Amino acid sequence: MKQLFDSGIELVVESDFIYFPLLFDPDIKKEIQTVFYSRKDVGNPDASDSKAVIKLKGKYFVKGFRLDSLVNNYEAINPNSYQRLKNECLRHYHLTREIDGVLLDGTLRTILFQVMPHFIKKSKDLNRKTLSDEAILDLIGKKTNIPESYYQEARTFSDIAPLKKILKNIENQTPVLDLPGSGMMSGHKLRDWLRNAVHVKVLSDEYDRITKSLKMREQFSRMKPEHIATLLYIADTGFLEIDGFGFIRKNAYRNEYYVYKRSGDYILKDYYGRSYLFPNCRVTVSTYMPFRPFVMEKYKHPFLLKYKSGQEICIKNFNPPDEPTDKCIINTLEEGLTALQYGYDPRKRNGYHSLDKLWIHIPTIDFEDYII
Amino acid sequence: MGIDHMDLLKHIKNNRTKQRSKKPLRHDAFNRISSIVKQYGLKQSFLDLFHTVEDQPTIKKVNISRVRMKTPLEIPLFSLVGEEEYHLTMSIIDKVDNPYLIFAHSPEEILSCKLLYRLNPELSPETLMRYHFESLILHEHAKQNRIKQSGNEKNG
Repeated sequence: MKQLFDSGIELVVESDFIYFPLLFDPDIKKEIQTVFYSRKDVGNPDASDSKAVIKLKGKYFVKGFRLDSLVNNYEAINPNSYQRLKNECLRHYHLTREIDGVLLDGTLRTILFQVMPHFIKKSKDLNRKTLSDEAILDLIGKKTNIPESYYQEARTFSDIAPLKKILKNIENQTPVLDLPGSGMMSGHKLRDWLRNAVHVKVLSDEYDRITKSLKMREQFSRMKPEHIATLLYIADTGFLEIDGFGFIRKNAYRNEYYVYKRSGDYILKDYYGRSYLFPNCRVTVSTYMPFRPFVMEKYKHPFLLKYKSGQEICIKNFNPPDEPTDKCIINTLEEGLTALQYGYDPRKRNGYHSLDKLWIHIPTIDFEDYII
Repeated sequence: MGIDHMDLLKHIKNNRTKQRSKKPLRHDAFNRISSIVKQYGLKQSFLDLFHTVEDQPTIKKVNISRVRMKTPLEIPLFSLVGEEEYHLTMSIIDKVDNPYLIFAHSPEEILSCKLLYRLNPELSPETLMRYHFESLILHEHAKQNRIKQSGNEKNG
């Protein structure tokens, strides 16, 4: 189908049907001559047989399929192309899951507006004042380099008139699918028509979502365009890091995130008072079970069992929370950071490994390379 | 009466067995020529070449001693073409109108078809299927030259 429309060949639309150029071999030629020159068919132009093949501008065209059936079944006919057109349409009206998700998703709102203010430096002075949502978005906008395209998108996003119009059309049950007029037309023109028709179908199918999205946008229409741009940027990238605090979207469908805080370089001492410089790492907690702190990158530490990435930090008497509330996320991250930076007791040599080499024949992680 | 009846039965049975046996599907001229037209993107102007094409291969061509093999050609079982290509195919078939055409593999061979048939109309299908028409024409010319030379020697 795609090849046909892309080829630019002349096609014919007649009585809502698409007609394709007739291909020939000697038998078909003979048959066509019989159909077009016998008195029976010439005298009866409405006969179904005569409509199976039509002649226009000296060329023969054979009946294909109904155009509306093509649109209605396009998802099954060409799933990849349908998905592409659907995404294109949803992106055009900012109805993609990510954008809806970021504005409606409670987890992300918790991370952005409750957890993040705890970890980032708001001002140079020492007093910790609570920040409003708007002030946080301002701060993110100031500390993050948001591309100009997101500001343009934000202006389109806040314009809710086109969505309202589509919704009204669907509600009034006006014929949303305009079939092209009869006559000869190029494959390219039909391809453009099909694209628009699929867009209309997608919007009709997504009625519930448009209603929901419209309500949400009405709420957000009072927001500053810069703030919407910041949220769109976060929705698109699924990633943000400010002052060593950040989050990464793990699974867009389930709205799961990895929330992390960088430890920075820190020093631990061994039994003999020698210093070991530990490199920066990201202490992370997932918003999906289990809510235990772990180190994202390949890392070694007395409280980590092996030298690899994604290891849980061994913390004594730590009870993981049941849900990822703001307090739980903050608490888990702080527990993890404290354990890494201050939890090791050189006298007790607690944890899985000792910093100084024990002369007992047990294979363990070696920290000699961290000695300063 | 009984014997006649048995003969008739045998006759019917033999006929049915013959009908049931598989017959190889042979490519007809339309299938082959339309495939060449499509594959090489031939246009109506190709027909003009029939007037300008040389009846004799050039000296340069005669000097080529190697045997040219056929160019590979993919032929569908049932070829369907657009209207223009159909008319061109039918015009080529009408213009050439000889049994060697169904062995052509390229536009070049279509053009050489008439000359080859004129030089030797009794070439076997195996030969036509295997060798390029140009090689066969050169072979026929060489054969004729040899006959001429031996005739001259006898006369001399």
